[in-house]
Amino acid sequence: MVDNSKPSPSDNAIEVRQLRKEFGVLKAVDGVSFDLKHGEFLSIFGPNGAGKTTLIKILTGLTRPSSGTARVAGYEVEEGIPAMRREIGVISHSSALYADLTPLENLIFFGKMYGLEHPQESAQTALEDVGLAPRRHDRVRTFSRGMLQRLSIARAILHEPSILFLDEPFTGLDIHASNVLKEHLQTLHNKKRTILMTTHDVSCGLEMCDKVALQVMGQFAFFEDIKDIVKENFETLYFDAVRNNQFTMGIRPH
Amino acid sequence: MNLFLSQVSAIVWKDFVTELKTRELFSAMFIFALLVILIFIFSVNLSIVKASEVGPGILWVAFLFSGTLGLNRSFVLEKENGCLMGLMLAPADRTAIYFGKLISNLVFLSIMELFILPLFMIFFNIDLIEYLLPLLLVIFLGTLGFCALGTLLSSLASNLKTREIMLPILLYPLLVPIVIGVVRMTGQILAGEPLSGMMNWIGLTASFDIIYIGVSIMTIDHILEE
Repeated sequence: MVDNSKPSPSDNAIEVRQLRKEFGVLKAVDGVSFDLKHGEFLSIFGPNGAGKTTLIKILTGLTRPSSGTARVAGYEVEEGIPAMRREIGVISHSSALYADLTPLENLIFFGKMYGLEHPQESAQTALEDVGLAPRRHDRVRTFSRGMLQRLSIARAILHEPSILFLDEPFTGLDIHASNVLKEHLQTLHNKKRTILMTTHDVSCGLEMCDKVALQVMGQFAFFEDIKDIVKENFETLYFDAVRNNQFTMGIRPH
Repeated sequence: MNLFLSQVSAIVWKDFVTELKTRELFSAMFIFALLVILIFIFSVNLSIVKASEVGPGILWVAFLFSGTLGLNRSFVLEKENGCLMGLMLAPADRTAIYFGKLISNLVFLSIMELFILPLFMIFFNIDLIEYLLPLLLVIFLGTLGFCALGTLLSSLASNLKTREIMLPILLYPLLVPIVIGVVRMTGQILAGEPLSGMMNWIGLTASFDIIYIGVSIMTIDHILEE
């Protein structure tokens, strides 16, 4: 029997093989396979309903796949593996923060949930990292969308995970907040964190990533190295996929 | 401290800090329970029926109905801003989430009950002082069972649009054994009977408390999964 509680050594931070998730007749994720090496940044684009969020939910252990396998940080992805969850941080369009608590209280709480030795100190450091230390005693309810997203980053990196999952992190941000978020992500990427991000923002997504994937109707239409992609060609293919919610397999944005 | 216990205490700490800041839960439960008792006072003619005969039923109706308000809020707070997702991403056993919420609910409801008891005593002119210890034991057993099952079902109902309706519909039928037990015991205590004479009821109520907690431990993993 395979012991899933221990990581298997691998060059890849994420390994996905023929992953499928079906909701009745709807195939949200349909035979997705890819590898992502440690320290790489993958941007996944795709129209609404393409299955990007479901893919992240499977990879973070929030939902079970119908079939296929996935390894994250060396752990077989299955619900209920606390060791794997220590290695990942997740930022989504919902902040996962308690509105009536202060940023400091929120981070101390999550620090305790992750079993950090010094949750108070870690929370202070994380708040300073995202520039929210002066607002640490204000209620989160009073924060703007951009500040919430920065606090979400602090929450996600509090336990220093090696892999970050970002589900449309630029949604609802103004240009200044987007730039601040981009800087934070760039810093995390420079620190060799593995990052998997879904986004509709083509320029941001292509600017930061090492690998690009386009997901349409649950499938990866392509998965390429950024060096092999011509930005303008990609934009044309992407907008076509969004407009028609379909993609002719085999076409490449070279 | 063991990680499991530290996670349970973190959830309880978080719920307490939130409640201290908002005071939403306690004030809503307390006012509702008080209103229930006041309505019964005006609708029951205490010169015809004995307060010790109708009192137990009224007291538990107030406790359970107001407790349902608290249970409804319990997991709704976790659903706001996707906080439950944040909890589920933490390296915590799902039962730690359940026990954290169970303890918070139990403590909030118990505090509310402690505030309601003296008012009940005054309105119904019943001297509870001499029966206080056995009465507190019975209230604890009933409240534990109510919170054990209620916490599980509120986590289930929190995913539904009609959660305010669904929680009582799911909860009350399953609570019948405990309600019968605690109302009978409360009546017997107010009639001056010793606790030793109601060991069967205590055993029944405690057994259901254990069953509800056991079922919750077995099912919370699947219920919290989206």
